[in-house]
Amino acid sequence: MIRMFHVFKTFPNKVSALWDISIHIKKGEFVFLIGPTGAGKTTFLKLIYRGILPSKGQVIVDGVNLSRLKQSYVPFLRREIGVVFQDFKLLYDRNVFENVAFSLRVTGVKNAIIKKEVNEILNIIGLSHKKNTNPHLLSGGEQQKLCIARAVVSRPLILLTDEPTGNLDPDTSWEIMKLLFKINIWGTTVIMASHDKLMVDRAQKRVIRLEQGRLVSDTMKGVYSKE
Amino acid sequence: MIRNLFFYIREAFFSTKKNGIISLATIVCLTATLIIVGIFLIISLNINIFIANLESQLIAVAYLTDDLSQDEIEKLVQNTGGLEGVKGVDYVSKEEALQRLKEDLTEHKEILAGIQENPLPSSLEITVYDSNYLEEASYQISQFKGIEEVNYGGQLTKNLLIVFEFIRKAGLGIILVLLFVSILIMFAVIKISVHSRQEEIEIMALVGATNWFIRWPFIIEGFFKGLISSLLAFAVLGKAYQYFSGQAKEIIPFISINLEVDFALRIGIILLFLGIFIGVFGSMLSLRRISYEKL
Repeated sequence: MIRMFHVFKTFPNKVSALWDISIHIKKGEFVFLIGPTGAGKTTFLKLIYRGILPSKGQVIVDGVNLSRLKQSYVPFLRREIGVVFQDFKLLYDRNVFENVAFSLRVTGVKNAIIKKEVNEILNIIGLSHKKNTNPHLLSGGEQQKLCIARAVVSRPLILLTDEPTGNLDPDTSWEIMKLLFKINIWGTTVIMASHDKLMVDRAQKRVIRLEQGRLVSDTMKGVYSKE
Repeated sequence: MIRNLFFYIREAFFSTKKNGIISLATIVCLTATLIIVGIFLIISLNINIFIANLESQLIAVAYLTDDLSQDEIEKLVQNTGGLEGVKGVDYVSKEEALQRLKEDLTEHKEILAGIQENPLPSSLEITVYDSNYLEEASYQISQFKGIEEVNYGGQLTKNLLIVFEFIRKAGLGIILVLLFVSILIMFAVIKISVHSRQEEIEIMALVGATNWFIRWPFIIEGFFKGLISSLLAFAVLGKAYQYFSGQAKEIIPFISINLEVDFALRIGIILLFLGIFIGVFGSMLSLRRISYEKL
């Protein structure tokens, strides 16, 4: 599903964010991306949804070489990739339903289908009782769930989450994790950048560790702490 | 497509409402600019009409010597008609000239009472396609045999035309400057609106909206702001024009001020197009530099 071949990323200010990364993530995998702040986790995720292009090397997503992808096709790639940020990026001038519906509306889905799909996903996420609420009245955990709902309502092939449990208490974090596992079971490839040692150790999934932009370990059923 | 259109319009109104004060300021600024543009338009269109009237009335008159035979006169008419820029040649006989004079002087018949013989020369009245031909044609005609003298509007008319031409060009210049200024205003305002919705734009780009899908609501916002402003400007101008043209007619009656419906319609359509053009173009300009892809 996702392949990287000798990917380097250097920013214009000469900061080297990623150094010679080669990796293969298969369809339906659940992968933790760990490492200290500044290790290059966010850059890694951005490369996948083509927020940025690599300075060197190739990134291939669902068979498409992103360096060769025409600018006008980028939106269509993004429709196959859901993204969840730590800082939510919600629209606070719209209610919960509209926030989720937004990602379907911008891709031109029919209203009747939007209604059905959004209600369904809100049910799964457990927010259907708050669909008319404004997001700023939701708790942190609920806001994060809302972001996940928005990211997966279009049933993407890949879900990228950037420290989704970063600001949440352990119980709420585990709830979010369970939600992500559920989405993974549907067949969505999930990549989760995380600092959360507790969650990583508990989940027993593949763990990719980055340090100063380099891939230092890649283990199946890995743990957070260095081996 | 229709479904998207509803979405765009809804988003455009949403944004207009959200940035209420800025939206109001834009409409006021744009309306004011359009009113000023409109004033210059009215002035320059009126001048155009005035010049056209004046030009159509410009003729050269060539006085003939009294000793010409009918054949010679016909030849002169033919030669004159063949000159460059000449539209028509009318022969006015001595008798006709006297008749005209009599008509002109109906209130002062005594002036003509003492005249025994017709003192007026026969003449050719020459109309031209463009007043620019007048001078050259007059010179050419004066070289023909049998022509005593050629008169045309002369320096006064020429000066008048130059002044009007200058006003017309200056007006056009001012309109262009104002147009540029108002596009800048629109550009700045939509830019503010875009910035206040940066997050929304990022999210749209992230969930796979195409660039045009992101742009349309802003363009529609610009369109409606332009439309409203031009309608307001037209209403204000219409009222003011009605009032001032009435006054102007009393003060300077010889200037023909145009008050006809089709004239108002012309101004209205121009303002409408200008308003919408400024709104849409300003929006496009401010959207050009957003980076949808970099998040």
